[in-house]
Amino acid sequence: MTAATLFVNPIYLSPTNQLWLMLPLLVTVAVIHKTMRTGDIRRLLRDVLALVAYMAAGTVVLAVVLWLVMTYWPRG
Amino acid sequence: MARRKTSNPHPALVLALGWLIPGAGHVCIGRAWRGVIIFLVIGATFWAGVGMGGVLTVDPATERWWFYSEMCAGAHGLVGWRRQHQFSRDIQKEVQEVLNDMPRVRSKAEEQEQRRFAEDSIQAERGVALVYPTDVVARAYAGVAGLLNLLCVFDATVLAAMGVRGEPHRRRDVEEGET
Repeated sequence: MTAATLFVNPIYLSPTNQLWLMLPLLVTVAVIHKTMRTGDIRRLLRDVLALVAYMAAGTVVLAVVLWLVMTYWPRG
Repeated sequence: MARRKTSNPHPALVLALGWLIPGAGHVCIGRAWRGVIIFLVIGATFWAGVGMGGVLTVDPATERWWFYSEMCAGAHGLVGWRRQHQFSRDIQKEVQEVLNDMPRVRSKAEEQEQRRFAEDSIQAERGVALVYPTDVVARAYAGVAGLLNLLCVFDATVLAAMGVRGEPHRRRDVEEGET
């Protein structure tokens, strides 16, 4: 793919691996949130890393809970 | 050290600038580094979405609600919309040429169906058709960038309305000032 078609033609994404693309989005949300909220801008990196870890862990827990519900929920 | 006295910017100005140029609202209230970070991160996220989804990522006809959130990214959203608009105009010209060559249909519904089919065919031919899962990921990136900018705009506007200017005082600075 050339640079000229990069912002014109869509790129192919594998349906099975698309969940990994959630990680950069988590980082984006964490950076923006902490940029607004942190008291000292020099602590931004540390705060962002902590929030990304927190959000990633929360997402994994949520995924496991939903998977358990989908797998073991009694069907009528 | 004496501080230069500067007047607070009007919240409406902060709101407008913060929307148009992500991060500009924070720069206006004296938080320049935060503004720069917001500008870079929101721009990168929005254009990562458009890079994945192509020119039809910002599309008011197909995905209205994503389009609204993409428009919250200010200049980025407007540029994306402009590109999509120009591209769609070219596609519509081609569609009209194709329809002129086809036999006339009686009902309006059939004509719309023909038009939609021709449009889809031309998009597929040009390789710009946005399909699953790329459409979901691309619009999520561009849309989330817009929504995050909305948060930043609200933050900067509220701070401007409260008369806050500059970085918040760190605790150590305050303690040193007291002693």
